[in-house]
Amino acid sequence: MTIPEVIPIVNVRWDDILFLILATVMIGSALLVVILRDIIRCGLAMMVCFGALAGIYVIAGAPLVAATQVLVYIGAISVLVLFAIMLTQTKAAPARLVFQTQAVPAALAAVVLAIIIALAVGSTDWGAAGTRVRTATDALAKVLFQQYVLPFEIVSVLLLAAVIGGVFLAKRDEGEPL
Amino acid sequence: MTVVGRAWNRLSLPGKLFFTLAPLLLVTTIAVIAILVIFGQLIVDFLAANLPIVRFVVAVTAVLLMSVPTAFLIIYMEMKVIALMNLRLGPDRVGPYGSLLSVVHGLKVLMKEDFTPTGVDSIVFTLAPVVVYLASVMSLLVIPFAPGLFGQDLNVGLLYFFAVGGLSVVGLLMAGWSSFNKYSLLGGLRSAAQIISYEIPLTLSVVGVLILAGTMSLNQIVLDQRGSFLDWFAFKQPLGLLIFFIAATAEANRTPFDLTEADSEIVAGFATEYSGMRFGFFFFAEYVNVFIMSALIVSLFFGGWTAPFDWPWPVHIELNPGGLGIGLLILLAVAPVVGTLVLAAPFWVARSSMPAWQALIIGFVLLNLLIGLGLFALAFLGWEWVVGLFWFLGKTYGFVFTFVWMRGTLPRVRIDQLMGFAWKWLLPASLLNLFVTAGAVVVLGR
Repeated sequence: MTIPEVIPIVNVRWDDILFLILATVMIGSALLVVILRDIIRCGLAMMVCFGALAGIYVIAGAPLVAATQVLVYIGAISVLVLFAIMLTQTKAAPARLVFQTQAVPAALAAVVLAIIIALAVGSTDWGAAGTRVRTATDALAKVLFQQYVLPFEIVSVLLLAAVIGGVFLAKRDEGEPL
Repeated sequence: MTVVGRAWNRLSLPGKLFFTLAPLLLVTTIAVIAILVIFGQLIVDFLAANLPIVRFVVAVTAVLLMSVPTAFLIIYMEMKVIALMNLRLGPDRVGPYGSLLSVVHGLKVLMKEDFTPTGVDSIVFTLAPVVVYLASVMSLLVIPFAPGLFGQDLNVGLLYFFAVGGLSVVGLLMAGWSSFNKYSLLGGLRSAAQIISYEIPLTLSVVGVLILAGTMSLNQIVLDQRGSFLDWFAFKQPLGLLIFFIAATAEANRTPFDLTEADSEIVAGFATEYSGMRFGFFFFAEYVNVFIMSALIVSLFFGGWTAPFDWPWPVHIELNPGGLGIGLLILLAVAPVVGTLVLAAPFWVARSSMPAWQALIIGFVLLNLLIGLGLFALAFLGWEWVVGLFWFLGKTYGFVFTFVWMRGTLPRVRIDQLMGFAWKWLLPASLLNLFVTAGAVVVLGR
């Protein structure tokens, strides 16, 4: 007697339930990022959001993308964001100042983002996207390094340029005190 | 007062405990046996039908449970080995050779007051040790302990390992910031900076192994190194091994890179405000990390659970105890008595001052030891995973010993030396290792 693939009474598949839970966590923590008044807690909620997204990637059959998501977005980017906040701000300082100073640009950006998302949702073939495929690592590598090798290299050069620019901006002049 | 009441009062504390617990244990045992007899077949069928889920749950529980004794063992090893290196005795009071001292340490940490200072962000403050410990335990899940004995054989195993292991930085930052103490904050930032810097050469130095093995599954990487010890990746990737070892030392916060918690110089860094079991989680996580890093070095570069030479075992042993028939029953009844008597006889004969009962006790203990050893030898010879576990743990604790040895020997580096070393030497060296390995694979083939 195996556990049935569909939950008997409510008639929902198990991974759909998992997806719903993860999606709720993701949207909830995304809301918390915006709502919370304490900027470090906002950052931590952002990490939870990224983690839930990684879980959704796993359900969608892309463990490599999920692991990369955790490694890059939680392990590197969010940590760097937290790091920067902690270096520049103490808990005693007024954390309120950072909020709500640019309402008009923020509203504009939100509207543009909503339009882009609506366009993306409208143009996706959801019937094809619903089938779950397991992406193997080597298949992904073949696509990335044969078919799309030029965009990949361009992105790498772009990132390198950003790194060099950052180093140049942060560099001290000769003889400047610490 | 009744007779029972008077008898009860006369008992000592262990006696009272015994007479309460023994009936309880008896009832529970009977209940469990009854349930097993009535529903046993159903339960077994249900579990067997859902084997993948059961396997996963068991693996997660086992990994969680084994992390604490591992930490205890490494803490004891560190106390004792460094003491011997310093010409001290080390722990010698609790248990044989002081071996139970770390258990007592654990109990002490459990019983301490769990103090939350004023002004801390209490949610983040509480969750920080959980995140750190979780990161350690979750990364244990992909380590192959023996053939067939691993949590999950993920095909992105190594990537998963680094991703989950990197989560501990988040915990450290959380702890440092939420403590509401600028020294904690500085300590947290320092350790986060250290771990992030060393994660890059750590990850890059493994890519050489990945190119050679052609897979990210740790289990497959171990299988690739089967054969003699000449097939180990340590000999194909000596520079990678060196970089990985140095970076792993820094990742696990061990001397000479233990600036996070330089115990003789500064306060405990990010853990300054922590006490009780919350501090205990940081402490345990650190020692579990030592085990994990050693296990990873062994799996990646020293062949994991494979034997260093052509191991003639497992042999197939034909044992059919049922074939003895009624003789088996007689053997089971007679063998313990005869064995005890035979083993006790030499002591009783050789030392006339020894009373017979003492000799009998010695004989009984010896018999049990012999039977235990015999069973272990049978398992060792007959089961592949026992041999694998033996080799894996042997090699791993060899590296744990090396980490302890380094702590007893090496001086600590300065923070600027630490960061400079990671970015100016380790990173270029790991890139060089990567290019040379890739070039060699292109020219020579795998």
